[in-house]
Amino acid sequence: MAAKVLIVEDNSSILIPLTFLLEQNGFEVQTAVDGEEGLAAVARFAPDLVLLDIMLPGLDGYAVCQAIRENPECGEIKIVLLSAKAGEMDVAKGMALGADAFISKPFANAQITATVRRLLAGPP
Amino acid sequence: MRTRNRFWWFVMVGVLTVFLIIGVLVGFFWIQLAPAERALLLDVLNRSFIYVFTVAVMLLAGLGFAVDGVFHVYILPLSKLVEEVTLINTVNPSHRIAMQGSSDVDRLVTAINENADRVEALQGRVEERIRLAKAEAETEKNILAAFMADLPEGVLICNTDGRILFFNNRAREYLSHNRLSASSTASGLDPFMGLGRSVFTVIDKNLIVHALDEIAEKLNTGEASAAAHFVAVGEGDRLLQVETVPVLNNRRDFNGFILICNDITVQLEIDSRVNALFKSLVQEVRGSLGGIRSAIEAMLAYPQMAAAQSERFKAIIHEEALQIGELLADSEKAYSRQVLTRWPLAHMAACDLVEAIARKAEAKLGLKLAIYGCEDDIWVRVDSYSIVLAVLFLLERLKTHLGVRDFNCCLERRGRFVCLDLRWIGKPVKIETLRQWESEELSVAGEAIPLTLRDVVGHHDAEIWSHSSRRLQNTAYLRLFLPSCQSDTACNIRSITILPESRPEFYDFDLFNQPGQSPDLDDRLLTELTYTVFDTETTGLNPRGGDRVISIGAVRIVNLRLRQEDFFDQLVDPQRPLPPESVKIHGIQPEMLKSQPPITTVLPLFQRYTEETILVAHNAAFDMLMLQLAEAETGIRFINPVLDTLLLSSVVHPSQGRHDMESISGRLGVSVVGRHTALGDAIATAEIFLKLIPLLAKQGIYTLRDARAASQKSYYARIRY
Repeated sequence: MAAKVLIVEDNSSILIPLTFLLEQNGFEVQTAVDGEEGLAAVARFAPDLVLLDIMLPGLDGYAVCQAIRENPECGEIKIVLLSAKAGEMDVAKGMALGADAFISKPFANAQITATVRRLLAGPP
Repeated sequence: MRTRNRFWWFVMVGVLTVFLIIGVLVGFFWIQLAPAERALLLDVLNRSFIYVFTVAVMLLAGLGFAVDGVFHVYILPLSKLVEEVTLINTVNPSHRIAMQGSSDVDRLVTAINENADRVEALQGRVEERIRLAKAEAETEKNILAAFMADLPEGVLICNTDGRILFFNNRAREYLSHNRLSASSTASGLDPFMGLGRSVFTVIDKNLIVHALDEIAEKLNTGEASAAAHFVAVGEGDRLLQVETVPVLNNRRDFNGFILICNDITVQLEIDSRVNALFKSLVQEVRGSLGGIRSAIEAMLAYPQMAAAQSERFKAIIHEEALQIGELLADSEKAYSRQVLTRWPLAHMAACDLVEAIARKAEAKLGLKLAIYGCEDDIWVRVDSYSIVLAVLFLLERLKTHLGVRDFNCCLERRGRFVCLDLRWIGKPVKIETLRQWESEELSVAGEAIPLTLRDVVGHHDAEIWSHSSRRLQNTAYLRLFLPSCQSDTACNIRSITILPESRPEFYDFDLFNQPGQSPDLDDRLLTELTYTVFDTETTGLNPRGGDRVISIGAVRIVNLRLRQEDFFDQLVDPQRPLPPESVKIHGIQPEMLKSQPPITTVLPLFQRYTEETILVAHNAAFDMLMLQLAEAETGIRFINPVLDTLLLSSVVHPSQGRHDMESISGRLGVSVVGRHTALGDAIATAEIFLKLIPLLAKQGIYTLRDARAASQKSYYARIRY
């Protein structure tokens, strides 16, 4: 059964190619365009991994990441943060909130697929 | 003991001695007489007692008058003569003796006066030669001082104790805290900055000490640059970047330090805005590039993708590329606004501006401008390049839009604005057209700046309006309102350095060798102490009867130099009516006091002004009582040592009857300007005090302790208010 990936990203120019890319790689993909919708999708879709943009309208990526980590039912979900903010502080904050990886924009598609594969293949 | 008393004591002792000798002789004579002879003598005396008594009284009276005559004609003039000669020889060589005495005394006085004339002439020649010799060296010093005074940075030079030896205008502007503002009181920093004062009262001591520690460390390790930097808060919450540079003597010992202050408030503001702009640009470009890269990589990796999918990705790439282009253009504009509109504005004669516009209009656009209303005294503050370009831009638009080729350019001052009109025969420009032009970037005949007309006009706080003339038919004009330059704004313009006649009163490098003020003031020499010379004006002369202070004026004496620039001059609301008779004396009208602060505000400030100095006043008992009576109300107590020029004058000139300010000023050759204003009297008192110091030294009075002891003994010390 295909692994499930949720992409939470408000910029459709990134959301569309990413969705295509992950689907082509055999993942089951769902999308959300803001933080609240993202959290609802997590509950509904129960993804194995979330690709999460940080600068989202309303609830930002850090808050969504924290909410997922604080929910015991979501313990095994992998989280990859995507951000145009790429300072050391941003990375450190994301990792401290429980993200598994941090990818800064602009990224290579190969970097996304490699990271997703690595995280989903690793021990839970 | 005064001369008169000493003389009469001498006379009395003399007379008593004579009577004693006569009594003893009479006693011997009486013992040797036979009883019959004694009876005969008594009988003779009894019969002619009245004659003998009269002769004796007349003899005594004659003797008394003779002695008094000798006293007034010889003794008293001679005693006065000593004081007068000392006066001529010390402080006032122009003083001449005018006194009545015997012909001998008169001849002596004439001889002394003639001698004084010769000495004065001689002294004048010597001083002239010294002056010429000093002038050259002084000119060089003045060039340095004047140059330093007008530097764009604030500069302060301090000795090892942190006493200020030099400061320039900019340093005063940056660091003199507003005297009556709440922020200066709250910050604990002193509103006063002056030579000889501690720099720690205007800049936090911890900051300077930390910088000096850093410098000491750098000097120890032999680093090439021994400067240290810190940021301090100056007047009006401006942020100052302060560079601390050590001053070393020829043995490389630490001898003081220089503080160079730059106002970085505006620069910081621009930096932080530009920084925010840059961050936002990077983030947005990263986002767009993320989309482009992801889409193009997907297209390259999956060339067989469905045509609809491929078209979608191409659209994304196109959209995001456009987005990046817009972002870059917007950021460039925003950057221009942040940075370019910080161009400094300069003082310029409006006529020169208009003439520059006319020249360029003819050269670049082939337009003829006739100039009207050019007056020499109309000034504006402009960045001439951008404002000329803005007007040329308008002319070019008028030329293409309306086909006008001949313009009148009129200048007129209206209130606080200068109107620059471009007039032509024809229709006026519609407001919407003008607004359209305002939003366009300035570009005229190959010259361009990345700012819109609105940016440039806004930067000058100016306005543009389109009008048609009511008086002249068929005449339209564009009017540019520029704020006129008031004389008080001219201070922002760098002034031409003019060498002062005397050394500017902003520095005193002799203070490098001045020991720090210490508690054992009593044993310090009068010549090395720092003084606050002050005077008060009051509602009347009866402090205990409720009279109040209405004005305090003070100046400081540092290193035996009168520091007129470091003055205190404050009116005080007495919160009680001002008697008309007192107004006649000091000239301060009741309405002048209404908006002034009360004594409870002024006295704490005055106390800070006087910190670590000796107080000096003329008839100080009165002024000190005024301050003491305000103590209950203000809680301010003046514990400074006090000297009184009235008492000191009576110490150096005990034979002179009058010690009021006019008499002393006349004797010592001090000219009094602004008598009966607190500040004017304080300055006169200070000049008198400076002249008294060498006279006191002649009497062996060198230290503060000596001066206070002599004052207390003085006759006038018995006066009580």
